[in-house]
Amino acid sequence: MQLKAYAPGIYPRSEALVQATRDLDRGRKKQEEVDQQVDRDYEEFVAVQEQAGLTLISDGLLDWQDHFRPLVDRSDGLAARPLSRFLDTNTFFRAVLVEGEPRLRDPIPAPSLPAGRWLASLPSPYAFSRAAEGAVPAKALAANVLAPQIESYAKEGAALVVLIDPFVARDGNIAELVGALAELPNDVPFALQLSFGDAASVLAALAEAPVEAIGVDFYSTSLDAIPTDYPKEIMAGVIDSRSSALEDPAEIGRFAGELAARNPAGVSLSPNGDLQFVPESIAREKIARLGRSQAALEEVA
Amino acid sequence: MSDVSFLTREIGSLGKPSWRVKTFAGRPLDESDVADAERWGARLQVDGHERLLELLRSGQFAAAELPEIDDWAVIYAIRLLEQVGLDIVYDGEQRRTEMYDHVAAFARGFEPRGTVRSFDNKYYNKAAVVESPSIDGPQDVEEYEFVRAHTERGVKVPLTGAYTMEDWSYDEHYAHEGALGGSRERRYEARRLFVADVATNVILPNVEGLVAAGADWIQIDEPAATTKPDEVPLVVEGFNAATRGVEAKKSMHICFSDYSALWPAVLDLDDCLELQLEFANRDSRELGTGDDDRPGYEDTLKLFKEHGYPNVGLGVLDIHSDFVEPAELVRDRILYATEVLGDPERIQVNPDCGLRTRSWDVVYEKLANMVQGTRLAEEALNRAPTSAPA
Repeated sequence: MQLKAYAPGIYPRSEALVQATRDLDRGRKKQEEVDQQVDRDYEEFVAVQEQAGLTLISDGLLDWQDHFRPLVDRSDGLAARPLSRFLDTNTFFRAVLVEGEPRLRDPIPAPSLPAGRWLASLPSPYAFSRAAEGAVPAKALAANVLAPQIESYAKEGAALVVLIDPFVARDGNIAELVGALAELPNDVPFALQLSFGDAASVLAALAEAPVEAIGVDFYSTSLDAIPTDYPKEIMAGVIDSRSSALEDPAEIGRFAGELAARNPAGVSLSPNGDLQFVPESIAREKIARLGRSQAALEEVA
Repeated sequence: MSDVSFLTREIGSLGKPSWRVKTFAGRPLDESDVADAERWGARLQVDGHERLLELLRSGQFAAAELPEIDDWAVIYAIRLLEQVGLDIVYDGEQRRTEMYDHVAAFARGFEPRGTVRSFDNKYYNKAAVVESPSIDGPQDVEEYEFVRAHTERGVKVPLTGAYTMEDWSYDEHYAHEGALGGSRERRYEARRLFVADVATNVILPNVEGLVAAGADWIQIDEPAATTKPDEVPLVVEGFNAATRGVEAKKSMHICFSDYSALWPAVLDLDDCLELQLEFANRDSRELGTGDDDRPGYEDTLKLFKEHGYPNVGLGVLDIHSDFVEPAELVRDRILYATEVLGDPERIQVNPDCGLRTRSWDVVYEKLANMVQGTRLAEEALNRAPTSAPA
């Protein structure tokens, strides 16, 4: 059995890229020098994932300032607003101002990764709407912004689109989310990652959602919350992106075994949210341990 | 009835002068740095500041001279706060790196872990707790004693709170084992233990040392207080444990938070004089003393009114803007708060938070107007005492 493992979302910037962006803001570096460092970070992150043996490769969204900004910048009718706290972290994002009918003008280019070997990360339509404080329905953002972006990624060979949603597990507004997911194209499979939240209260309602996998944060969700014979793959958030503590692959292995015993449609391994909440040196080691957990479990299987 | 009067205070940090930043970073000074020291030395009438200018002009700084430069930065900050007319001062936290690192770098039990993004291209350093935190002796007594020796004004010592230290740290000690798939109760208990250890073994010994040295007002800073609304009781437990048995005025500063999450938990704060909160950031800049004129104050002040405890440290200056609040706007914010609370004795006046992100020129103008606006509010209330709300 091949056990899948991936690392979607925003990956932390290296200390070199942190310094480069600081220097850019202080007028000591040019944008092209920062872009060159982004390229070096990107190549390093791809290598780290390949060495770890992850199933699909992520580009790490290294030049994304938050989950929404690149889509906002490339859409008519949307603008970035003042800072908003991201959940209960000390990190902030720019909320979305709706100035007209949202429409993606210019899709974000796909990363230069082999077709069929990479995954894309995007905000879920519900998360996107929440970032706009509900000023535009999730359905409209799905149809007019996310759908053309996903079509573009699909053409460029994305094997999976991970829709990141840090809000819906807290709000419980599943109906709006599921209604919006129906607006997305079906030419690439989706995983819905419920990052940094207790998924217990929404898993039952998501059983029929049009996604292949549900990402569950097992540092906020008890294993007991997973129903037996769950009809979706569980993308198990077994790497804690908000902790500097390094996970023990053996413990992850035991945990994944207990999860599999509940007989969901499948089990894959991932962090419980964007790894940008730990410094890059720690994130790199966490990716390595994710890979070791995956390999150990495959041997057992 | 005695005349109404309000104390005016700062909250904590001021920006550091360029000459202080560059000398500690080992970067060369240029003429503008020396000119800045000269200009502020004259404007603030800092006795003997020619010695600082001489030192800066030498361009050579041995390690032994850095503490002297630090002392000058503190004296300049105290003089600025005095000259604008504040009743209660400190040193603008000139000796501290920043509020989290100041404690994490001093206490045992924390290890630096690296850089994490705050937003856009802004980052902060984060440490992990790796063992139960403790200190060998009070951290800030020398800092306090220097301030005390250099001002005749009242002094309030700001200290980072236990909950914020917990919330802003990685946990490699309390919650690591069994975290995967663990229960919510277990996670909460781990955080409670972390807060309790910081409060009891790091902050309380510092507070006791400060009070023994003569400090009579301790301000506990908890900007993370409502980050996780269901954990506000831990903030309260941390405050109580960090100030237990201490004979001094005790208050708490919180900012940029959802204040509705504070009550009823804060009713259990032991002998907390006041909550110093940020309000101006969310308020209109128009004059007026009606509910519609003061949207940044209405909801939270009504919570203070409803619950009756503690008192309020009224943030009247937006620390994220160079907009200099006119004295009349400060006046109206105070008059509105007085009307809502019905008791001017429950109010003292301060900026929303530390002013470290503003230039000293802007800080000077803002604080001077804050003091002037406070005096205008006092005049208005004392001129027409019978119209003051019951």
